[in-house]
Amino acid sequence: MYSWIWRHLPGLPAAKALQALVLVAGVVALLLFVVFPWAEPRLPFNDVTAGS
Amino acid sequence: MSHVLTRTRRSRAPQRRPDPVRTAIRGVGELLLTVGLVVLLFVFYEAYFTNWSSAEKQHEATAKLDDTWHNARGLVSRPVQGAGIAKLYIPAFGPDFVFTVLEGTDPTTLEAGPGHYLGTATPGEVGNFAVAGHRVGKGSPFNSIDQLSSCDAIVVETADHWYVYRVLPLQGELAGWSAGKGTRSQCRGVDPLPGRYTNVVGKAVVLPSQVEVIAPVPGHPGRNPSSRLITLTTCHPQFSASHRLIVHGVLVASYRKVEGQRPAELTAAA
Repeated sequence: MYSWIWRHLPGLPAAKALQALVLVAGVVALLLFVVFPWAEPRLPFNDVTAGS
Repeated sequence: MSHVLTRTRRSRAPQRRPDPVRTAIRGVGELLLTVGLVVLLFVFYEAYFTNWSSAEKQHEATAKLDDTWHNARGLVSRPVQGAGIAKLYIPAFGPDFVFTVLEGTDPTTLEAGPGHYLGTATPGEVGNFAVAGHRVGKGSPFNSIDQLSSCDAIVVETADHWYVYRVLPLQGELAGWSAGKGTRSQCRGVDPLPGRYTNVVGKAVVLPSQVEVIAPVPGHPGRNPSSRLITLTTCHPQFSASHRLIVHGVLVASYRKVEGQRPAELTAAA
């Protein structure tokens, strides 16, 4: 999977590395700002009220 | 030398036929590593990342509450869900420990700070002023309430009053309270509660379904209260929601607010 992505990134290795970093940052941001806030209320980790 | 090696490798690479088994196994391995990293990132999100946005929301709520107190003093209005209603101080956690308590316990409200259970008593009122707060992440207001001891002060500031609650005797301290810890000066006004309150102690771990802990008479929903209590609830153990940690306190003093003055319970070490 990762080697496939690496092979399909254009340019020199340095450029590829930079693009890879941008991709990782994008995925992390997507998880932190979209996926986790959506998933969190559905997961049983952080309920603090009695009676719920 | 290295130059030559690179060349050979490059020219050979396209000819190497991918072994499907090898590719599949590597794919599974990469997937598992990725899932592991995502889970780690989720832990970081829960324990740290949510604190940043919560701190900002808490700051906003506090600013709004201060504004209301300054500009609309004397005006009593029904609290709006999600708006600040009081400030909560626990001097045992240091002079900086203050949170604005908001009306309601829905997830959005609790992201901004501890929330007042709708329908429970207001600060200082006869009954049970019940507040929920996050243990881990989202500002972690109630992370350490398991460390509270009996007689520790929980001070609530409203628009015109200071209310000083103190944690009730713990289960193991009930016997011999009046001759033991109960004689300390900080425990003045803190006594094991009589009658239908006998089962109400300073700290308890209950199941999430035990909503009766926030009843006016904790443990006895529907009965008429005679004491002025505070109840804090959070999840227990840390990082889990299998149980709830409950702290009960009793009102020992209340003061009308005087501009520029704070109660002795806040200035002296708890």
